[in-house]
Amino acid sequence: MNSQTERVDTRPVNTRTGKPIGPISQPGYYPGFSTLAQQKFWDAKTREVVLDRVINVPEIRFFSQQEARLLEAICDRILPQDDRDESHKIPIVPQIDRRLYENSHDGYRYEDMPPDREAFQLGLRAVEEIAQHEYRLGFLEIGPREQEEILHSLHHGKPSAGHEIWKQLPIHRFWMLLVSDCADAYYSHPWAWDEIGFGGPAYPRAYMRLERGEAEPWESEEKRYQWKAPDSSVSGVFEPVAGQAEHLGSPGQGGAH
Amino acid sequence: MLGSIQRIESPMRRFSEGEEVDYVIVGVGAGGGVLLQRLARAGFRVIGFDAGPFWDTERDWVSDEKGAHNLYWNDMRITAGEHPLAFGANNSGKGVGGGTVHWASFTPRLHPSDFSIHSTDGVGVDWPIPYSDLKPYYELMELELPVSGPSYYPWGDPHGYPYGPHPMGGVGDALIRGCTNLGIGVSAGGPVAILSGSRANRPHCIYRGFCIQGCKVGAKASTLITHVPDAIENGAEIRPNCMVSRIHVGATRRVTGVSYFDSDGRACFQKAKAVIVAGYSIETPRLLLNSACPGFENGLANSSDCVGRYLMAQAGNVVLGRFEELVRMYKAPPAHALTEEFYETDAKRGFARGFAIQTVGPLPMSFAKQMMVAKGAWGWGLRSVMMDYNHWAAFGFLGEILPNADNRVQLAEEKDRLGIPIAKITFNLYDNDKKLIEFGKNKTMEVMWAAGAQEVVQEARYAHLVGAARMGDNPETSVVDQFGRTHDIANLFLCDGSIMPTQGSANPGLTIMALAARAADYLIREGAAVFKSEERNTQKPPIRRDLSPPDTWGHGMPRI
Repeated sequence: MNSQTERVDTRPVNTRTGKPIGPISQPGYYPGFSTLAQQKFWDAKTREVVLDRVINVPEIRFFSQQEARLLEAICDRILPQDDRDESHKIPIVPQIDRRLYENSHDGYRYEDMPPDREAFQLGLRAVEEIAQHEYRLGFLEIGPREQEEILHSLHHGKPSAGHEIWKQLPIHRFWMLLVSDCADAYYSHPWAWDEIGFGGPAYPRAYMRLERGEAEPWESEEKRYQWKAPDSSVSGVFEPVAGQAEHLGSPGQGGAH
Repeated sequence: MLGSIQRIESPMRRFSEGEEVDYVIVGVGAGGGVLLQRLARAGFRVIGFDAGPFWDTERDWVSDEKGAHNLYWNDMRITAGEHPLAFGANNSGKGVGGGTVHWASFTPRLHPSDFSIHSTDGVGVDWPIPYSDLKPYYELMELELPVSGPSYYPWGDPHGYPYGPHPMGGVGDALIRGCTNLGIGVSAGGPVAILSGSRANRPHCIYRGFCIQGCKVGAKASTLITHVPDAIENGAEIRPNCMVSRIHVGATRRVTGVSYFDSDGRACFQKAKAVIVAGYSIETPRLLLNSACPGFENGLANSSDCVGRYLMAQAGNVVLGRFEELVRMYKAPPAHALTEEFYETDAKRGFARGFAIQTVGPLPMSFAKQMMVAKGAWGWGLRSVMMDYNHWAAFGFLGEILPNADNRVQLAEEKDRLGIPIAKITFNLYDNDKKLIEFGKNKTMEVMWAAGAQEVVQEARYAHLVGAARMGDNPETSVVDQFGRTHDIANLFLCDGSIMPTQGSANPGLTIMALAARAADYLIREGAAVFKSEERNTQKPPIRRDLSPPDTWGHGMPRI
């Protein structure tokens, strides 16, 4: 494959109209629903923490500029936001960078994994090596489809290069770490709560309509539409993560019973 | 502030540096909190150390998944084995109240059968006590927390609950529907340690769904709000942000006190006539192993080589179902309905022991990661399944994993920021465990289908730790006796989930508290003998019903 990467449309498609969706301020089935609009009903500490997340996007302190750009391109495909307009894209890399800069983690590390900081740096190098191996170009220089193919190969546990690195960094664990960090950043943001119709903080006001999925008076009813991933994408289908046999443990273990 | 209206009015007692106290308790969680309160009430001079903060729930806690990160034990641990466990948010707490700060607060009792699984099923090990010894303490704790639930709970030793059951949320509705369609009995609205009606200075539940991020309301019980205030009223001192690094042993092979790092990182020593370790299944064995000294080269209380061994987690697969209609599972407490219909051994199933099925209510961050694991979601797939968040319901399968000597806590080479060697945990599943998980996972999925789900997926995970310093009558195969006293050192005790020999398929919190209340009655009966004698009185102590926190009695007494 050569360097020619035509400009492909990376927006999802409304399957009824056949037209691309966005860029818009709020994708999802709850148009107009805003958790932030309810902030005066939240307790002061929660309001402070959530608003800080929205307003004060941390600067990059852990990654080099180059690493940050590479990670951003990766995160753009792991949690694509091509349907969101520029002023409503949810920052992912700054949150990951802050976590690593502060050396914050979940209180454990798999025996076969390096510490998270090292894991990210190694993983980024490996992704770049795959791009060079496959396309003789940097990851930033290839198109979104090619970028997704590389990430897809990690998902399937069969990257074509970076083998020296994968010896120190189990592929599926790195993949899980990467996707879960992206998910944490995106789904901790109130704009994502609006997108999925999650009511957000409810103290001290409470929820009172508990059954049948009923909306509170201040929540929105669902207005569904059918859509699909852009034609340029391979991430719209669900395939099991390779190597993630049950015995290897999984990272989605947040929360207690 | 503890909750929206609860305050601790009296100033806390401060023992002066160099002053010897009767008891030091290491860890003020489920076990340590209850024990601290009772020892203080009985007039002992006692200090509770906790490695984390003394929470001001209004100022420190948030209705936010990400913002709850500081409630957990986030110091590094190494996890190993073929089936490595997750720690942190999954099964640990750091701060006064410990794990009860963020438990979902399901509070079922163990069943009578749990205390003798070796005798009846030939697996695991028997407890040194029968259910009947713990029953009065279960009853006490159900009143002290208190527990809400049905007036007749049919499984194990049938009993009723003092506070009424909670209303159903969408997940509970699904569990009831699924179970009912399959003819499976189900308990609605409890047992959970969440107030369904106000009591004294604690308001009732507001169904906001952030139980496991810390209950700002004060409706969900944690020892921080149920027992610690009364401990302080009665003269206990709590030293938060103090990490105990070593237990000291004197010339007479008795413990003399603890070394700790205070909140400024200063190395300190606290002298005590007796020490009680209540740090849960990882930190308790870690501290005992890190306290190795001449005469105790393999760690304290470890002549049996059982310290760190027989660690258990419960199988905790999450089964997720997508429904055509909306569920909105973020409303209502995650814990509000369950079935123990499959709890007991059924020979036809081809394995010993059983499991429970319970409601869970993952919030968006957790749900996203569950979808990543259960469906392989990433990219546009993740975005699209997350847009369906409000259509999903989640059940937690809770299965008994049997104790095994090779599932263990050891010390790693690596050290923490204070220079203390960190824990390395090795965990493997064995044949019975694997069969039980396979069967239980499929049964839970069957219930989800029967509830009307159009799609059902699952994620393998583990919940709750117990064991790693088990109790027993034989000093060669156990660490502590039935009262938590270490076999090797007469004035060193353990009081937390680590002493449980087996775990059943009940959430362990209530059992840990009941064991703590029983240990307290023992220590109070023994009095000063604990501080000087090597004698071990193994007579059961009388039950002290006069040591409960205020407002325990006179509310909703169960008839059954």
